[in-house]
Amino acid sequence: MIALTRRELLRLSGASIASGLVLAACGKQAGVIDDNTITIIGKSPVTAPLADVEVTDAVLLRTAASLEYNAIETYTTALESKLLTGDLRKVAEMAKRFMDDHQQHADAVNALAIKLGAKEYRCGNSRINDVYLAPALAIITESENPNSAIDIVALAHAVENLAAQTYQGVVELLSDPMLRADAIRIGQQEARHAALLAQVLNPGLANVGPTSDAKTGKPNIAAVPSEFGSLANIQLTIGKPKPDGSRTTLILETPSLNSLVYDFVACQA
Amino acid sequence: MLSATDTKLLGFAQTLELTARDLYQFVVGRKSLSGDERQMLTQFHSHHVAYEQTLNGLLGKNSVSKRNDSLYTGFLQKLSETPNVWTALLQIENALVTTHTKSIESIESAKVSALIASIVTIEARHAAILATMTSTNLSLALDNSESVLVVS
Repeated sequence: MIALTRRELLRLSGASIASGLVLAACGKQAGVIDDNTITIIGKSPVTAPLADVEVTDAVLLRTAASLEYNAIETYTTALESKLLTGDLRKVAEMAKRFMDDHQQHADAVNALAIKLGAKEYRCGNSRINDVYLAPALAIITESENPNSAIDIVALAHAVENLAAQTYQGVVELLSDPMLRADAIRIGQQEARHAALLAQVLNPGLANVGPTSDAKTGKPNIAAVPSEFGSLANIQLTIGKPKPDGSRTTLILETPSLNSLVYDFVACQA
Repeated sequence: MLSATDTKLLGFAQTLELTARDLYQFVVGRKSLSGDERQMLTQFHSHHVAYEQTLNGLLGKNSVSKRNDSLYTGFLQKLSETPNVWTALLQIENALVTTHTKSIESIESAKVSALIASIVTIEARHAAILATMTSTNLSLALDNSESVLVVS
């Protein structure tokens, strides 16, 4: 027989009551019917369950199509801005050809998506637009920006690199080898667009390969920036110079899980 | 480990890169080049060296050490005539882009396909820049009508 002192007995009974209260607070008691008589202050938020998504070949193709529309929108904005004049008039000609290419690419990848039983996607990637393109355009078109014309070319160059990297990146993710080849067949043309725009931004044969800024040590824009196609993030430097001479640098990344165009994603009006 | 199919395809890719390496080696030795032209072409040459060596590493004991001689001789003839240098180099790069892309259709390993894709995007950039050396016509820089190279 265990002999308990009066003090130990009181401590033990106190602990039992406390644990009982905790358990009671944790959930409904068995056999007790909820008659909604307990008052709740305020509204409890309704949580929408996350869609059950899968990154399929069709999702990757629809995402690629969305980037093509981002590119088309970028060139449309560039042409409508009337900034591509003077020395940059040739870029306006390039923009028209590149837009046609992007439309053809979008049609091609949408056709492949449809072949897989998915729906086509005929609008820009909203997350890419919200996170990268819209903020970049806001900085570029600021009235005090003296570099707006060349900055819009820099944005187009970044978008082309983004598209080239996206196609290169999905090669490893696509399950069908034929689709991998189709992807890089388009991606290599985006890389050509980027190379030609790089020569507008940093002209001359000496600048085709990688070089760096003598003052800042940062890499300059290059038509052929590396030995192998890079999948690293893309730096876009734009906007009016700050007092120290530096400018805003945005970092662009290829679509990830939160920006893929899943089966349930529809174009936003 | 590489499958038999992938080994065969990569072996052919390595042969092509060895051929491109040797052709660029010939071109950078030309006295008619300007300093900037030589610098750029030396860079492109070094890229093909890197591709060949990467494929060599992947293939291991199955690697090939010989270029494709008939291809080399055919292009060498074109490269020997100064006015044809840029057009011939453009043709080489476009042919490599087409051939490597075609090989991705049959390569079984996704990782190997990704490696070839990372080569294709740079060779396409080479082609675009080489096209600007002879013409301002955008189509020449953007469109690739070269056929797939085959073993002869």
